[in-house]
Amino acid sequence: MKHPSIGEFEELVLLMVAALHDEAYGVSIRENLVEKLSKNINISAIHVALKRMEDKGLVTSRFGGITEDRGGRRKKYYVITALGKRILDTQYDLRTGLYKLIPEISFGR
Amino acid sequence: MKARPPKRPLLFLRWFCREDYLDEIEGDLIEIFHRRHEQSPAKARRQFLWNLIKHFRPEFIRSLKLRPHYNSAAMIRNSFKTSSRNIVRNRNYAFINIAGLAIGIAVCMMIFIVIRFQTSFDDFHSKKDRIYRVLTEYHHADAATIFYGKEVPYPMPVGLKTTFPQIEQVAPIYASHNDQLDVLDDNGSPIKKFKEESGVFYTGPSFFEIFDFPLLAGSYASLKDRNNVLITKEIAEKYFGDWRSAVGKTISLKSGGSIWSHGTDILKVSGILATIPANTDFQLKLVVSYRTFFDGYFAKSTDWDGIGQNFGCYILLPSTIAIDDFNRQLRAYSRTVESPQNKDSHIIQPLSAVHFDVQTGDYSNKTISRRLLNVLWLIAAFILLIACVNFINLSTAQAVNRSKEVGVRKVLGSNRAQLQTQFIVEAFLMVAGAAVIAVIISILLLPYVNRLLELSLSFNILRDPAITIFLFAVTIVVTAVAGFYPSVVLSRFNPVHALKSRLAANTTKGISLRRGLVVFQFIIAQALIIGTLIIVRQMNYFMDQPLGFDKDAIVNVPFRTDSVRISRMDYLRKQLLSVKGVRAVSFSSNTPVEDDNDMWTTFRFNHAAKETDFYAISKFADNEFVPAYKLQLVAGRNLQPSDMTREFLVNESLVKSLGLKKPEDILNKEISMWGDHIKCPVVGVLKDFNDRSFRRDLAPLLITTDVVMYSQAAIKLATTDIPATMSSVKKIWEQTMPDFVFEYRFLDDKIGSFYKQEDQLARLYKIFAAIAIFLSCLGLYGLASFMAVQRIKEVGIRKVLGASATSIVYLFSREFILLIAIALAIATPIAWYYMHKWLQDYPYRIDVSWWLFAAGGLVAIIIALATISFQAIRAARANPVKSLRTE
Repeated sequence: MKHPSIGEFEELVLLMVAALHDEAYGVSIRENLVEKLSKNINISAIHVALKRMEDKGLVTSRFGGITEDRGGRRKKYYVITALGKRILDTQYDLRTGLYKLIPEISFGR
Repeated sequence: MKARPPKRPLLFLRWFCREDYLDEIEGDLIEIFHRRHEQSPAKARRQFLWNLIKHFRPEFIRSLKLRPHYNSAAMIRNSFKTSSRNIVRNRNYAFINIAGLAIGIAVCMMIFIVIRFQTSFDDFHSKKDRIYRVLTEYHHADAATIFYGKEVPYPMPVGLKTTFPQIEQVAPIYASHNDQLDVLDDNGSPIKKFKEESGVFYTGPSFFEIFDFPLLAGSYASLKDRNNVLITKEIAEKYFGDWRSAVGKTISLKSGGSIWSHGTDILKVSGILATIPANTDFQLKLVVSYRTFFDGYFAKSTDWDGIGQNFGCYILLPSTIAIDDFNRQLRAYSRTVESPQNKDSHIIQPLSAVHFDVQTGDYSNKTISRRLLNVLWLIAAFILLIACVNFINLSTAQAVNRSKEVGVRKVLGSNRAQLQTQFIVEAFLMVAGAAVIAVIISILLLPYVNRLLELSLSFNILRDPAITIFLFAVTIVVTAVAGFYPSVVLSRFNPVHALKSRLAANTTKGISLRRGLVVFQFIIAQALIIGTLIIVRQMNYFMDQPLGFDKDAIVNVPFRTDSVRISRMDYLRKQLLSVKGVRAVSFSSNTPVEDDNDMWTTFRFNHAAKETDFYAISKFADNEFVPAYKLQLVAGRNLQPSDMTREFLVNESLVKSLGLKKPEDILNKEISMWGDHIKCPVVGVLKDFNDRSFRRDLAPLLITTDVVMYSQAAIKLATTDIPATMSSVKKIWEQTMPDFVFEYRFLDDKIGSFYKQEDQLARLYKIFAAIAIFLSCLGLYGLASFMAVQRIKEVGIRKVLGASATSIVYLFSREFILLIAIALAIATPIAWYYMHKWLQDYPYRIDVSWWLFAAGGLVAIIIALATISFQAIRAARANPVKSLRTE
């Protein structure tokens, strides 16, 4: 089976979903990414990425309970699927494999 | 308390965002907003907006299709099914709704048919846009008021033809009245006698070049020769039995009218006209060749100052001609041909305006004003609106009952659009049902409408596509007007509230709207009632107001004078007076009061050099005229018996118009009229009486004797056993004047006929007012019965606590009486304004007094109370145990 393709930003979001495990929803994903990347990210970008990945079957979602501080709106929690995990693994393997191919050249340390 | 995010952007988000993403997106946005808000509220708000806008992208926007998931055909079918079930379940409401709408639509349709007929007059002529009528513009004396008449001077047709080469066709037309037609056998002796009150026209072949009246046999050209006549198929069948054999037969025409009527003409039928359509003002029966009469004197006439009675002229112009320009030329032409002191002009009027020119009239007396047509439209619209209001009222009142259904449907996933569709389908079903019933009502009622309005309308829904289109249009409009608001209200319910039965608190808004609608209905109904009361009272005034002379038990018998009959008049009078029931007999040119059948003249008074600057009515009557009609003299004496013109009687108004102070001043002074043809002294002054209908001011009047001018006998009867007297009169008449058809008319019937249009209007208003109040009460009944059901518990508790039945009836009635009183307060000025304006048309009119309005209001309140009381009393008498036990 051919794996669905995944973009760079999507990969970051997917990694964050996996990292936050069970606590991943729009705001928490954004905050952590902003913190890690030191770069402002618009929440809509996160939402778009999440929707796309959900369509591709890389994440699943469920609704949380109603809380007051969100204007009565429920949180939507995302969890990574087995397929998502496999994609991350593949990406990781690909990157480390490629990384290892770099010759041991000194960069003037 | 947490800060609130900006509301408007949030609403925008909710509007565009997909339902299934909304929780997540809105929630996240608000959470971010809260976090930022602690640092900088302004920045947080800005960021919130920015984030929100960034979400406005295709992934998140809700689908444009309203019902993407459903099979809409099946849904509509389901809507129809549930709607019909609902209608059957709420039989009573449905009945009230459908009955009200059916009556409303039927009234609307009737009015539509009538107006369609009225606006279709003479629109079937292929050259209709180029046909014009020549009018005379009277500049009475130097008065500012201008009158128009359809009569023109005799030289007009020839003059137009020779002076204006651009005119394509000129048709003179003379409308004769009260003609007697005898069918002759081969030897020339009469077989059958007929009297035609109207429909005998004299014209030439050019008339048929202008107008389209198809011919079944013969030729139009035959009208070039004198003594030829074209008759319609109907007349041919009436006179000869079969129209095919009628051509070539002969009839003799004894023309009606008085002064200028000529001897008997023998006419040859030279053609048969096809049936004349009902929607033309030319109700032709016999078309006599113009030259038969208008050959000698009239053809050569150069008298441009005299106006030929019943003599008119139609012309056909090329389409390129500018009317204003042509009128200017025509006015200039009038100046050149008329004598210098004559200020009258001539203008042309397009054919399309003729049927609506009430002032000038036409040859069929069927003119109708545009204003009346507009009023009819307005009434149609109002009655339909009342029916729609009923529908809205009952549907919204039922909302509470339907709330559970709406709640369940919403919980099961219906959206508003679907619910709205369902309610509109339900409204459509009722309206469509009502439309079908309206068609049936219209078919059944049309004969009555025809009789009332003296029309011959036909209702053929299949043949006339306009009716079908109208019906569809009305159905759709009514569905939209009546169905839309209830569907909005019903589909708006919050399912949680609906299922918890917490709607009662919510419906106050609906109640005030319903009150407003009831007030609106009663404004219309009461305005119509008041209007009707005023019109009916004005009608009664017309009929009962003394005219200044005796009109009771007087019979008028028309005849034609010629030398033979003049010699028999004294004998006839003696014979008639010998009949037991006959009190007096007078011969005269017409009756003291005429609507449109008088001779008008100017005259020279007391040897003055100039004619008077006003017109007076001139009548010819014998010395018995004054006693027979009980006219009162204020000065001088009655006329002496004479066969020639010898003396004048005048009325007070003439004395005043001459500028004399006392009636006595005019006695023994000479009056000279008709270019000194008639010249004699005034011997008496009559007290003013209404010599014209109450629609017009009374006019100056001259009466003199002249036996050749007499065209009718007035016979004053004793009031006992009139039929026996009349049969003796008939016998004597037929012996004395054997060659004429005997016919008679009672004077008060004739006076009544002056006000035919007002009478029809009064009857129409009565019907409309009745329908309006009936429909309003139908709605009220529905509303009251609904209230009774809604408040059954309240009434039960009140009764347990000791309320009396009367107090409960009062409880129910109080509100409605208040509403009707408010409606009356609004309806009164509206009705007053319009009826005041209507009454201004009549110089003789009733005073609009306050009690008419009070009576209108009282009638409405009584009818409304009677309607509610049934429900109120039933509610008040119900056993509280029953109503309180059931939950």
